Amino acid sequence: MPADFQSRQEAFRAGLQQAMGAPIWVLFAGMIGFGAMANTLGFNVWLAMLTSLLVFALPGQVVLLEMLSTGASPLTAGLAVTLTSSRFLTMVVTLFPQLDAKDRNRGLYARVQLLAMTAWAVSMREFPHMAPKYRLPYFTGLGLPCWLIALPGTALGYLLAGQVPMAVTLALVFINPLFFLLTFTDVRPWLYRGAIVGGGLVCPFFYAWDRDTSLLMSGLVAGTAAYLVDRLWRQRTGGAS
Amino acid sequence: MNVELSSLQVWSALAIAAAGTYACRALGVMASGKINQDSEFFRWLSAVTYALVAALVVRMVLMPVGPLASVPAGWRIGFCAVSLLVMVVGSRRRPALALFSGTALMLIYGMASH
Repeated sequence: MPADFQSRQEAFRAGLQQAMGAPIWVLFAGMIGFGAMANTLGFNVWLAMLTSLLVFALPGQVVLLEMLSTGASPLTAGLAVTLTSSRFLTMVVTLFPQLDAKDRNRGLYARVQLLAMTAWAVSMREFPHMAPKYRLPYFTGLGLPCWLIALPGTALGYLLAGQVPMAVTLALVFINPLFFLLTFTDVRPWLYRGAIVGGGLVCPFFYAWDRDTSLLMSGLVAGTAAYLVDRLWRQRTGGAS
Repeated sequence: MNVELSSLQVWSALAIAAAGTYACRALGVMASGKINQDSEFFRWLSAVTYALVAALVVRMVLMPVGPLASVPAGWRIGFCAVSLLVMVVGSRRRPALALFSGTALMLIYGMASH
């Protein structure tokens, strides 16, 4: 839909409206699952909520708790989380150059915290349909409620997991692995498909070898292998993968 | 927690994770417009990220910690398979329905077995 905004406030409201659809509910469900997971693994509720606000990236949050609960060192866990967050680098680099030149100032260092997968995907789709000066308010309207819902979502999941029957808790902690698995079906390039299959296949072996570093090692080894194979393939065929 | 962790270790892990994640975001702001996202470095980094998240999923489904460990592996894998099928069968992706059907199956399993 081409957006004919009259003011930046209107663009902000349009972003808000967009957020209230699928993006916020998917995130809410994920955060509930994360809170429930934190409870069942015996973590503190404040740690869970602070993780949601500060990290605000579900794969990273789940990696953090998973690794700590199996005894990984803070440094190994922190490094693995940082690696899963490296996708933000790519996401910001593709999204923010589309903003109006006037908006590309230090304020972006604060707003970038609002960025998550859903807000990125929606912005990439909608930005071309609006004038550059409306893009930042639109993005803020979209990202802010998504970020704010993380806190009540995590708290709710944490409380529920302690109160509801075991069957509900099982369903709640199953949300995130299932959601990550489903997102893989949207990945198109063969390089990344190969990395996903490879990472999944080598994980049990690294887990048996050394549990603490298994995620980090699986990512580095399978990811690098997929990259090298893809690179060799591109050199052979002289084209894209 | 399966393993006893001091709260200092847990909070310092969060501090490193939060700092590392924010650094990725901030670096993105710094670099936006300056680097090419099709570069070899980005391709490698993205491949490592996908492999790591895939390993995470396999670990959560096959070697779970917490309550999922009480569900036999066959059921866990089966529910994932059903959910994936709901997602990809047909011409349109159905993420909400797929997520719902997988978690609903887990709920039904839990009610039947507890």
